[in-house]
Amino acid sequence: MELAGITKRFPGVVANDRVDLRVADGEIHAVVGENGAGKSTLMKILYGMQSADEGRMLVGGSEVAFSSPAEAIDAGIGMVHQHFMLADNLTVLENVILGAEPTRRGIIDRRSARRNLDELGRSYGLDLHPDDLVETLEVGERQRVEIIKVLFRGAKVLILDEPTAVLVPQEVEELFRNLRELKSRGHTIIFIDHKLEEVLAIADTITVLRQGRTVATVEPGDVTAHELAELMVGSELPAPSTEPRTVDEHVTLSVRNLTVTGTDGRPAVDAVDLDVHRGEIIGVAGVEGNGQGELIEALLGLRPTSEGELLLDGESIADWPVRKRREAGIGYVPEDRHRRGLLLDAPLWENAMLGHQTQPPYAKGPWLDRSGAREATARIVADFDVRTPGIDTSARALSGGNQQKLVIGREMLAGPRMLVAAHPTRGIDVGAQAAVWEDLRAARRDGLAVLLVSADLEELIGLADRLVVMLRGRIVAELDPTTTTPRLLGGYMTGAVDEEASTS
Amino acid sequence: MKGLLRSSMVFRWMVAALGLVVVLSIIQELARPETTDLISAGTAESTLRRAVPILLAGLGGIWAERAGVVNIGLEGMMVLGTWFGAWGALEFGPWWGMAIGMAGGAGGGLIHAVATVSFGVDHIISGVAVNIMAPALTRFLSREFFVNRSGGGLTQSPRVESVGELNVPFVSGGDLFGWTTPDLFGWIDDRNWLLVSDAAALLSGITRSVSWATVVALALVPLSVFLLWRTPIGLRIRASGEHPVGADSLGVNVYRMKFLAVMVSGGLAGFGGAFIAIEQTGIYRENQVQGRGFIGLATVIFGNWQPAGAFLGSLLFGFADALQLRDRTAVHALLLLVGVALAALAVRAVVQRRTRPAVLLAVASAGVLWWYAVTEEVVSELPPITPHVATLLVLVFATSRLRMPAGNGLRYRRGQE
Repeated sequence: MELAGITKRFPGVVANDRVDLRVADGEIHAVVGENGAGKSTLMKILYGMQSADEGRMLVGGSEVAFSSPAEAIDAGIGMVHQHFMLADNLTVLENVILGAEPTRRGIIDRRSARRNLDELGRSYGLDLHPDDLVETLEVGERQRVEIIKVLFRGAKVLILDEPTAVLVPQEVEELFRNLRELKSRGHTIIFIDHKLEEVLAIADTITVLRQGRTVATVEPGDVTAHELAELMVGSELPAPSTEPRTVDEHVTLSVRNLTVTGTDGRPAVDAVDLDVHRGEIIGVAGVEGNGQGELIEALLGLRPTSEGELLLDGESIADWPVRKRREAGIGYVPEDRHRRGLLLDAPLWENAMLGHQTQPPYAKGPWLDRSGAREATARIVADFDVRTPGIDTSARALSGGNQQKLVIGREMLAGPRMLVAAHPTRGIDVGAQAAVWEDLRAARRDGLAVLLVSADLEELIGLADRLVVMLRGRIVAELDPTTTTPRLLGGYMTGAVDEEASTS
Repeated sequence: MKGLLRSSMVFRWMVAALGLVVVLSIIQELARPETTDLISAGTAESTLRRAVPILLAGLGGIWAERAGVVNIGLEGMMVLGTWFGAWGALEFGPWWGMAIGMAGGAGGGLIHAVATVSFGVDHIISGVAVNIMAPALTRFLSREFFVNRSGGGLTQSPRVESVGELNVPFVSGGDLFGWTTPDLFGWIDDRNWLLVSDAAALLSGITRSVSWATVVALALVPLSVFLLWRTPIGLRIRASGEHPVGADSLGVNVYRMKFLAVMVSGGLAGFGGAFIAIEQTGIYRENQVQGRGFIGLATVIFGNWQPAGAFLGSLLFGFADALQLRDRTAVHALLLLVGVALAALAVRAVVQRRTRPAVLLAVASAGVLWWYAVTEEVVSELPPITPHVATLLVLVFATSRLRMPAGNGLRYRRGQE
């Protein structure tokens, strides 16, 4: 398979600029690059979800142009998307056969579909129950459904878009086993990633993209992770790293025996004790859905607690409404900035008020203070390097990184005592990521107590003074980041390692 | 089919329905001198007849919402169904009336689909537009087609003929090759055996003088289940409502699925409208739909987006409607039923250790029972709105564990995530 001179323009950006990619039959070919380097766009073109403005695609020697995924599927190409394309309320079987349903007299032939699925599962070691609802599956299992989906359609070429982004290290190993199995049966795999150790471990050939261009095609034996990283970034690397300890004896936030009931009636947060000191970053690690979200919502007052005590500088805040907690100095960087952090169609200066609309400089008595708000917004834009044409621009027009900088600036400008940050660097580019890290470090220097929830284990280890791991609503381990590896952390997150076993 | 029955909520609901018959029967005994209509052949028959338009609207709602399009325009599509149904029945006969009413409703669905799917208009706004447009259009059409006929006018059509009726042989005295078979259920009903006679009365009511159109409507429940859950197109429709981007990534034409589902939805609503005009009243009259489209939408939610659930919801509404029409004192006896039901819910809440709901339910139950005890009849405003109150009450208590299609009501554009 060969792509030559692929160019794709979006309004204002060139996502792919004369990209070349040559993939040999039966190899695992990695495409690496930073966020925004154009990897996903390239794959969407290959899979017919978008069409290229220029360039040629050859599959098996003949030129092709896909105008829809259906055509790519017919040509034997399948894609496992970064965000799973699964309908939660349908069963595994239904998700797999969708669009390619085996029928008998117009009726879906479940028996043959099930047999087919079992066969695929057995021969590739992909273990699944066809009748489970997808919403009950764990992340690794969902990914297996995606892979089966592609194989079910008879794909010879599999495109995997950042398949490891959502997996813990143990699941990654399982995935790699599956991929090697596929390769040994003659499938070709195109693998997109930006985690270099993984790429070096699995790939036969690596193509590096930077700012929409192909910069190199190398073999894993010829490069080190460091060299590869420099190819990706084009210069030296930013990394999350801590500075001298600033942790104070003073406990800013004290959580005692906190229990929060989840939507299913079981405790989502189960008897959690946690102290966050002044000038300390506490990192909370955990596979998503193990109570981190509920913990944060309980701290903010977004979710009622069923038991336990919350003390902010010694004062009980458990019965306070959200606004009073915010006014008392809890800053909040929400996990989903589009849904919880911003009004996408409102101008920046209105967004800057959110959560602080009752206090100066945004309010004068009962009224909003428009000029004060605009001034404050201008200050956020300047101090936090929010790249925008102006403060009347709608938030939607900003890139994810700049949106996030605005959110963080908004919280920091209010002078909080405590900052709760959920996945602050998720889905933003490397430059903005470095800026967010620096903002968190600055917050720590200023004596804020910071609670950082993240799925990026490097980020947690690099920034935090102390790590706690949540599993099924409980804190199952407390670790020192200086002596922890992502692997060990992953072990705690999945429950493969428990603390007693490791300390004894 | 068997697996579906056992695994889904349908089975539980059937058990619940059976339980309801027993409870009704007992309450009927308690309220004996006051009313005899809580459970009788007449009430059962009327319940079914009243339930059919709601059921059809509910099925219509399910088709659209399973494909991710909220169809608040069901009401307007039913209005189109009443007019086109009556017109068709006048011109070509009652069955053609049903078909043309269906086509009229599907036309309304097409407008809704063009607006929401092709142009990305907010579903509620488009639905409201259909609701506003439909009566205006039918008024215009009446002026063109009905005014000059005898019995017709600006707001109504001449009388129309209805489709035939079915009496099931042997159990409800239907004819078989010119011989009138015995009426088994009727006979048992007359014996006045506790429970058994009540059940027979119920069965007698739903097997005697049943409109063939009702039979068709009832058949649409399993047919909808079959089409939506057993055929490729049904799977694609549901996938389009759950995860349109995912469906698109597998080569499903999401736009086409949504168009199809919304037009089926309109067609079902149109059938419901035609049923009102041809079967229930025998005439087209303006405003005769009276919010049944919205009630149908409520049964969608009540039924957790399952056809069988919507069917039960429509029966509930039909029952309340039938009671208030037949016998106003029966509505008073209904208070007893509501009181008992609230008490049962209170007990359930206690078992689940939910203190606040338990207390509230217990208080409400006591209040309703007290109301029943100290009054002879309910205020005259209550009976006509009983069906709506019943719908509201049930929705309030049923909404906690519902799961609507994940992409429902969202605008979908190809290539945008």
